[in-house]
Amino acid sequence: MSTVTLRGVEAGASEAAVTARQLQDEESRAWLRDLRADGAVRDDALARLHELLVRAARFEVARRRVTLPHLRGDELDDIALEAADDALMSVLRRLDDFRGLSRFSTWAYKFALLEAAVKLRKRAWQGREIPLEPEAWNLFASARLAPDTEAELAELLGAVERGIAEALTPHQRRVLVALAVDGVPIDVLADRLGSTRGALYKTLHDARRKLRAQLAERGTELEEWLEES
Amino acid sequence: MERRDTTRILRGLLGPAAPEVGCDTCFDELDRFVELELAGEDADAAIPGLRAHLSGCPACREEHESLLALAADERR
Repeated sequence: MSTVTLRGVEAGASEAAVTARQLQDEESRAWLRDLRADGAVRDDALARLHELLVRAARFEVARRRVTLPHLRGDELDDIALEAADDALMSVLRRLDDFRGLSRFSTWAYKFALLEAAVKLRKRAWQGREIPLEPEAWNLFASARLAPDTEAELAELLGAVERGIAEALTPHQRRVLVALAVDGVPIDVLADRLGSTRGALYKTLHDARRKLRAQLAERGTELEEWLEES
Repeated sequence: MERRDTTRILRGLLGPAAPEVGCDTCFDELDRFVELELAGEDADAAIPGLRAHLSGCPACREEHESLLALAADERR
């Protein structure tokens, strides 16, 4: 059996906290031991793990069902079950990555939540057009500024539009506008562009850095507008 | 356009000012981050850059909210 790196117990931690962590570690060890066993022990562990993942996937579906009013309950449950099946494969594939830094159940849950969330986002955007041509965007044109909008704000928005047009590559512009303005979920965009969430976020991050740098270089004050009013 | 909408769009365009981790690191650390939060420990100090990422990435933010809610639910 592989060694699991378990979280150390800090000096001075309360007795209750120490006990809780020891129990947590024992539970995690038991999961790993049983999932790496053979025969009936492994089969039982797989069934328990699948049950745990189904619970997480249904939890996510329940949180998001308002975004999919056209789907029936059984369709939503099919999505949850499919997400749990996919999550089970991911958990087993990545079992050696579990470091014992959280409960095993919390670690496993995140795979089911991710699978369910991605499937639901894609379902919500199924058949919807995503404007990907750089020429097709016009940031603030569709939402006219309120009559009392400060001139300062109008100036800022103009500077942002110029920054996007001048400082970014077409790909950065396309990704930034789709994600930040059109509200396309990153997984949906990754799917349409044949990319991954991680790669697209890197593009988004680089675009934001360049945009911030250009605005700073031109003396545009941003922070006041980024605070909640 | 309301001031609130402008702020939301600007935040989406400009992202967090603080250094942040990427989506893959966020996913790898999310379970530990959530448990530190639930334990009342300093999750931000333990995993620098994750909170900033959550403010800049709506998908990871939603998954963080779900995991936090699910893990908290389990402890009740």
